[in-house]
Amino acid sequence: MASPSRTEIISLFRSLLRSARQFPDYNIREYTKRRTIDSFRHNKTLSDPSSIAAAFSDGKSQLQVARRQAVVYSLYAPEIKSIMDVKH
Amino acid sequence: MASALRSAILGHVRVPVVTTGSKLLTPLWINRSTSVRSMSSHDDHLEKTQVIDRILDIVKSFPKVDPSQVTPEVHFQKDLGLDSLDNVEIVMAIEEEFKLEIPDKEADKIDSCALAIEYVYNHPLAS
Repeated sequence: MASPSRTEIISLFRSLLRSARQFPDYNIREYTKRRTIDSFRHNKTLSDPSSIAAAFSDGKSQLQVARRQAVVYSLYAPEIKSIMDVKH
Repeated sequence: MASALRSAILGHVRVPVVTTGSKLLTPLWINRSTSVRSMSSHDDHLEKTQVIDRILDIVKSFPKVDPSQVTPEVHFQKDLGLDSLDNVEIVMAIEEEFKLEIPDKEADKIDSCALAIEYVYNHPLAS
């Protein structure tokens, strides 16, 4: 499996953050964002091409999950906003 | 019967016409002092100083950044010691702040405060 390029990885990172924004529920939105950032940081030091490729394909499948779940969650959006969403 | 009564009453009622200067004649939605039209596409175009302030606030509030080092010309990776992931995060935060959708190609180019300010200031939908 070929190791993904730097731009591909950055693009995956951005796509995950974008899909995180789609969640109507504050907690899930923030969790998805936090989870994305944390796992990219965690794998920052990977140097072995095969493990980079494995992490990349894992990220891609997570992106599919996030996109699918964002659609599902938008059908069941919470009726009351989280207190964190309320602007003062 | 009722309409006859109505016109008889209305014929006797006098409502005084009050003119208190030109203020009443100006519709509420026209604010003369700024001469801005509310439905015009340019009414909410941001001031450059406003853009600079808001972008600097975003960058300063980023956890890894030392707020004292942030200037309008600062380069994210060279001057602030951030990495490419932080760069993406900052650009995403700017998108959220100004309610923009920056395409990936453009977002990749934004690597300093100066470029971010330039981009947002020239973006017609920034708000």
